[in-house]
Amino acid sequence: MSGERFRTRQSAAASLLIPLLLIAITALIGANGTPSLQDTVTAILCNLIIVIGLQVYVGNSGVYSFGQLGFATAGAYAAAFLTLPAAFALLQTPSLPHFIVDAHLGALPSTLIAAAFSALLAVVVGLPLMRTSTLAIPISTFAFLIVVYDVVANWDRVTGGSSGLVNIPTTTSVESAALWAGAAVVLALAYKWSASGYRLQATREDEVAARSIGVGVMRERLIAFGLSGALCGIGGALAVHQSGVLNPATFYFGATVTTMTMLVVGGARSVFGAVIGAIAIATVNELLRSVENGASLFGAISIGEAPGLAAIGLGLILLATMIAMPSGLSGGREAGELTWLQRLGLSAPAPPPARGAAAAGEPAIDRPPGGALRAEGISLAFAGLRVLDDVDLGLERGEVLGLIGPNGAGKTTLVNVLSGFQAPDSGTVSLDGADLIGRSPARLAHDGLGRTFQTALPFPDLSGLENVAVGAMGMGAGRRRALATAADVLDRLDLLEQARLPAGALPAGSQRLLGIARALAIGPRYLLLDEPAAGLNEAECSQLVTFLRNVPNDFGCGILLIEHDMSIVMPLCSRVQVLDDGMTIRIGTPQEVQADPAVVESYLGSSFLAAVDA
Amino acid sequence: MTALGQNLIDALALGSLYALIALGITLVYTVMGMMNFAHGEFIMLAAYALFVFAGLPFGVAVACALLTGIAIALLAERVAFRPVRNADLSAQLVTSLAVAAILQNVVTATVAARPQSVETPAAISASTNIGAISVPNLEFVTLGLTTIVLGGLGWLLYRTRTGLAMRAAAENFEMARLLGVRADRLIATAFAISGALAAAVGVLIVLQTGQVSPTMGLTPVLVGFVAVVIGGFGRMFGAALGGLLLGALSSLLAVYLPEGLVPFRDAIVFTFPVLILIFRPHGLLGGEIGRARV
Repeated sequence: MSGERFRTRQSAAASLLIPLLLIAITALIGANGTPSLQDTVTAILCNLIIVIGLQVYVGNSGVYSFGQLGFATAGAYAAAFLTLPAAFALLQTPSLPHFIVDAHLGALPSTLIAAAFSALLAVVVGLPLMRTSTLAIPISTFAFLIVVYDVVANWDRVTGGSSGLVNIPTTTSVESAALWAGAAVVLALAYKWSASGYRLQATREDEVAARSIGVGVMRERLIAFGLSGALCGIGGALAVHQSGVLNPATFYFGATVTTMTMLVVGGARSVFGAVIGAIAIATVNELLRSVENGASLFGAISIGEAPGLAAIGLGLILLATMIAMPSGLSGGREAGELTWLQRLGLSAPAPPPARGAAAAGEPAIDRPPGGALRAEGISLAFAGLRVLDDVDLGLERGEVLGLIGPNGAGKTTLVNVLSGFQAPDSGTVSLDGADLIGRSPARLAHDGLGRTFQTALPFPDLSGLENVAVGAMGMGAGRRRALATAADVLDRLDLLEQARLPAGALPAGSQRLLGIARALAIGPRYLLLDEPAAGLNEAECSQLVTFLRNVPNDFGCGILLIEHDMSIVMPLCSRVQVLDDGMTIRIGTPQEVQADPAVVESYLGSSFLAAVDA
Repeated sequence: MTALGQNLIDALALGSLYALIALGITLVYTVMGMMNFAHGEFIMLAAYALFVFAGLPFGVAVACALLTGIAIALLAERVAFRPVRNADLSAQLVTSLAVAAILQNVVTATVAARPQSVETPAAISASTNIGAISVPNLEFVTLGLTTIVLGGLGWLLYRTRTGLAMRAAAENFEMARLLGVRADRLIATAFAISGALAAAVGVLIVLQTGQVSPTMGLTPVLVGFVAVVIGGFGRMFGAALGGLLLGALSSLLAVYLPEGLVPFRDAIVFTFPVLILIFRPHGLLGGEIGRARV
């Protein structure tokens, strides 16, 4: 399945070139303007790099950080220290180590070192912070911002304290800022479209589902945090070499609100959004500031000085955006994904992936048979309420084991225990002989455990193809191999036609099938399906049965099937295990189980018997 | 021994102040799931009410501050937060950041960016001697107020119908709504109480520092956020405990830190929660946010 792509070349090119073009136009306006306009435009471009840095983390992870300007501060001070002329350095930063004072680097090396320093700081800070929850991260990063400010403002003999540094060489020109901004766009898009970028976007879309396909949430967040730190550091370094002055408040609360506004107004999910947001808000900001300084508007209305006006304006714009247009001007799309652009013929949506990759009957994965997933003596109680009581379970490779029982019998809880989402109070789980207890869901996915959930849990903003490809990427597959795997699995499930649409736009039945395809894309040795037929119509149900029948053979895996619909359980399962009240009450062939009076009593009920008789 | 007692009372007083901030933030979080960045600006605006009404008797000015805090909280809820009630946590957080930026700069534009001094009653600045320990009267006020607020909130939450509705809404907002809890009124009530708590904090800060400034809410709101995080999200008394710990730490560091490090006190205080989060990623009293829902 080579040659399959996530997007057309045309769309990718448009996504890359349009932001670059916008930057080039901005730079051209600046380069041909008055010196003061040149300064303004250079500053805007430096800011734009910081906003792109913000996008890399916030946009892809969906987790807000209020601390990224701390990395801009770090980059700015690093760059200033490395370039400050010796005479000024002695006065302003007497305790700075000599090797830094004597460095006297040029613009490029100082910027690169600043980037490396900020990235390193981001990784060190991120290591503990990324462990915390989605809501704790914004707050702890905000705390980091204040810590940076506090340290820089009070470490007088090294940083120059709250009065800051002056006489820093001004080496950043419009052109160099524009080049760096262009590089930032390329880097941000390359990351977003990389396997690692996709894995992080999956955690943004649904953290639980992402963990089930082997994505290490903390690791992916940390990678983006580090990259974001580097970009913010570059922005800070370039900005300080543009203005020539730096103090602890340069990149502090005000700048945090401004850059956050730029990102949110443009649309945090896309690099394109970061670029248009930064340029649009900077323009508005300049206009507001000229009003603030008492300039006359349109030559006629003259307004007195009004400090704080620009900030109020930005605050109102941010508020209005959050209320009326939360996905921003870009709608969260890259330039090449804009429908009006596609209508103009400047970009094109990709056609559905080609059929026929999977030759009928040909196994997708060739794996020697043998091995088993075993659980022994699993017991679990929630607040004293017994949910699982000494349950054993054995799933052989290549078989389909049904798990049935009334609501509340503990079926889903057992699957949660097997897949690492829930630790049992006692008991052991082993996979092909290896002890699994205590391993994280992501680790278990790598060990060969795939699962679906009672609800589909799609990654709504990603296309069907991307949803399934991320499954393979979660296992460490590169883009190309992940694409081939995804197209193959989707073909087998007859989902190729819908593969280009965002998963969130698909009908419920397709979303469910997509969830199964995603779990299969990790190449599981054991697949745990939690009510896969819930919400499917009759035609989809029979299609699912036909598909699942071939899965053990084609994918070389065993299936544990939780299902209420006996018309699905009966034809698929070689054995059925019945849970009731947290205990196994029967294991046997479907026929044996159906005939067991205790099972009928507890679960199938008289209506089932009546239906069978009829 | 005397010094130790003195320092402990100071620590308790600052901790109580921080607990009041954390309670105001966590109350709104409990019913609406929003971490309110603008809480600091509620504090700041209430403090400015003291500045504006400085000519009136102090008791009247405090009443005005209280009304200001409640009014601005209700206004912000109605205009800004109600439309994003169903948005995700991050979107709500950014919305409240916008509100904070607007309120802060409105004060900058209408009053001034620089701090303004406010005259406070002499009785509050005085101290009372207990044995060898001299306790500033303000610390009595802070401690007394925190005790009353904690007791009052406990009574509200566990002894009244409104409190029952709040606890139900905290568990499952949609279900509480289906069962007849009037969401709008419940959330408005929470904001009103939160605004009143912010006003109390604003008054206490003015009494302590004798001045107001547009950015005076920034540190308190961060303190409150961090306290809520280390206490465990949505745990009312966890937040109070977090505030108490943070305040006590800050106060004791001021005394026991080597001289060269004293300027970095805030940096150390705000690094401390990170240490807690490394070992307890969901806060001291646990919280459900971020836990897997499967």
